Amino acid sequence: MTAPVPTPADIQTLFRARGYVAGEALATALRLVVALDKPLLLEGPAGVGKTEAAKTLALALDTRLIRLQCYEGLDAQAALYEWNYARQLLHLRAAELSGARVGDDELYGETFLLARPLLQAIREERAPVLLIDEVDRADDAFEAFLLELLAEWQVTVPELGTLHARSRPHVILTSNRSRELSDALRRRCLYHWVEYPTARQELEIVHARLPGVNARLARQVTDAIHTLRALPLGKPPGVAETLDWAAALASLHRDHLDAASIEATLGAVLKLREDQLLAAPTLRQLAAKAAEPAAPVADGP
Amino acid sequence: MTAPAAEVSADLAARVSAFVARLRGVHGFLLGPGEAADALRALGAVDVLRKPEVRDALRCVLTASPEQRRIFDQEFNAFFRRDGGPPPPTLPPLLPQTDAPGAEPPEQDQTAGTDEGGDEQKPAPPPPDAGDGDEGDDAASMQAQPLGESGEGPDDPDEPAQTIRTKLSPNASGGGAFDAAEGDLPELLRAASALVRAVELGRSRRVKPMPRGRKLDARRTLRAAARTAGDPTELRWLGRPRRAPRFLLVLDGSRSMGKDATLLLRFAHALHLRSRRVEVYAFSTGLTRLTPLLRGAPPGGALHLPDLGEAWGGGTRIGENLLRLARHERERVNRDTLVFILSDGLDTGPVEDLERAMRELHHRSAGVVWLSPLAGMPGYQPVQRAVKAALPYLDALLPAGGMDDLHALAGRLKRGGALN
Repeated sequence: MTAPVPTPADIQTLFRARGYVAGEALATALRLVVALDKPLLLEGPAGVGKTEAAKTLALALDTRLIRLQCYEGLDAQAALYEWNYARQLLHLRAAELSGARVGDDELYGETFLLARPLLQAIREERAPVLLIDEVDRADDAFEAFLLELLAEWQVTVPELGTLHARSRPHVILTSNRSRELSDALRRRCLYHWVEYPTARQELEIVHARLPGVNARLARQVTDAIHTLRALPLGKPPGVAETLDWAAALASLHRDHLDAASIEATLGAVLKLREDQLLAAPTLRQLAAKAAEPAAPVADGP
Repeated sequence: MTAPAAEVSADLAARVSAFVARLRGVHGFLLGPGEAADALRALGAVDVLRKPEVRDALRCVLTASPEQRRIFDQEFNAFFRRDGGPPPPTLPPLLPQTDAPGAEPPEQDQTAGTDEGGDEQKPAPPPPDAGDGDEGDDAASMQAQPLGESGEGPDDPDEPAQTIRTKLSPNASGGGAFDAAEGDLPELLRAASALVRAVELGRSRRVKPMPRGRKLDARRTLRAAARTAGDPTELRWLGRPRRAPRFLLVLDGSRSMGKDATLLLRFAHALHLRSRRVEVYAFSTGLTRLTPLLRGAPPGGALHLPDLGEAWGGGTRIGENLLRLARHERERVNRDTLVFILSDGLDTGPVEDLERAMRELHHRSAGVVWLSPLAGMPGYQPVQRAVKAALPYLDALLPAGGMDDLHALAGRLKRGGALN
């Protein structure tokens, strides 16, 4: 490894400079990704910043981010490489008209190769951050293929031969647990569960991402979000919702929560009608409480 | 590969190795020499004088799920106390290996995954109309149930007599002991296979290459045409594959379920052996995911499960736990998921949570089926509050009081149209 591996404290500083407040455990996990050359599996509720962590790591390491978004039915062709068949066909037709011969080497050369994310990651000179997003949405067969790739860091393209990774990518996999991943894949990876941030951390996130937001409003929004998360909601608000809500309220020139502004911006926080009805009494209490003198921020999850 | 860390002292390396061995031996973590080596390499990459950093690094390497994380944290705090302190106490395992219900309790701690070879003794089940028995005290390893849980409160003042008998069944012990009879596994597998085969969810909207289909696969056709100088002589097709069902089983393990819970748990295990897409949960006062435990159970052997804590042998909190499940499984429940609730419906909690959970499961899933051991009794009426509240959201309410009911399950669901 040419560049020195950043310490967890370095990572926290680098992330903070890019508006991402990373806890110590996540920073340690990201350090190990670089130091041990092992993939990291990030699991956690939706909207806690798993994907954003990978993006920020690429920025912090000043390297390229290559993203593979997984979905049901994703196959190796779509993830690794594909030949540009239409272009090959045109090339064949043109050669036929001109009477030229077309060999396999020409037809299956770089000109007609469409590199998909995994092949791009393998061919990068400088280790990129490879984000394999929502790996749980892919099926078992793809997971098996991925395991092989993560073990060997080489792929065989029949027409081109075996391609070895020029530099090992820093791999981050994210999962929302919509499917149980195999033990084999879990064992291959480092693991970190990303939890919702504490109220204090979330307040820091709001200030890092929205520097102009009123301090009182930011505190009330984060406290309110944490109160809402304690309710049995169908879709608890994530960090993205916190930021959206704070931004929405700031755009309405509010400096504190009140019943009218909560009602006007509720769609930024609660995305299900049932949740809005369930949370209505709590939100009324929050609005009443917001009018009281400020209290210190609770540092609880 | 990076070079192994040289900074880790021999003493620390030995302690980490012992810690890994403890996680593997006592708690069944899947840790081999590779993970132990990675743990040492990880310590070489962090400041070993900072305990939180050491904990975070080891947790990152040695755990693979949120459940393991909880166990890891407890064990780490017990194991790595200040240097020079007394040796760490031998903690009771968080998931002690308990015998399958009905078997003799183990003489000593078993390491996870040990197969005792099944149970020799299977006490004959008492008659279903046995008189009131004490709550079983044969489960020394079970955790105490939460205070305030004293079994089932009456569900309805006018509930039928057979319900009362069920609740007072001597099998309805508080110890999570269940009969892991192996003899009926082939029968259960037959019933499970019939259920898997019976499910017809239609075809996926996603297309994939198939020998015959409705849509031309231009990509593969062109690929084939490359071999014939660009003439597409062989046409390739895309078709819509059948949707493979997912099963989500939620098993009521409360005392009132008695031996029915045992049978249904073994049925869940059989279904798990027949399909990879099966999630199993058990609840009593709390909720526990059983899927990883079932996956680790040896197929064909006696079913040994560890202490299920609040999920087995206590009171009933259907609504609260179904709501928790609906939230926890939110991502997994989709239009390919069939939800089976295996419960007698004798609930002690409010029904609002249950209605909310049922509405959510009903909207998100392919179908919700309630299997009740009481439903097969003559004159049964769905008058239990929980069942009444759930009825509007059910695709079927069917009996599951014995092997015959399980065999008939696929046919009944098909006839009722709940599976298509």
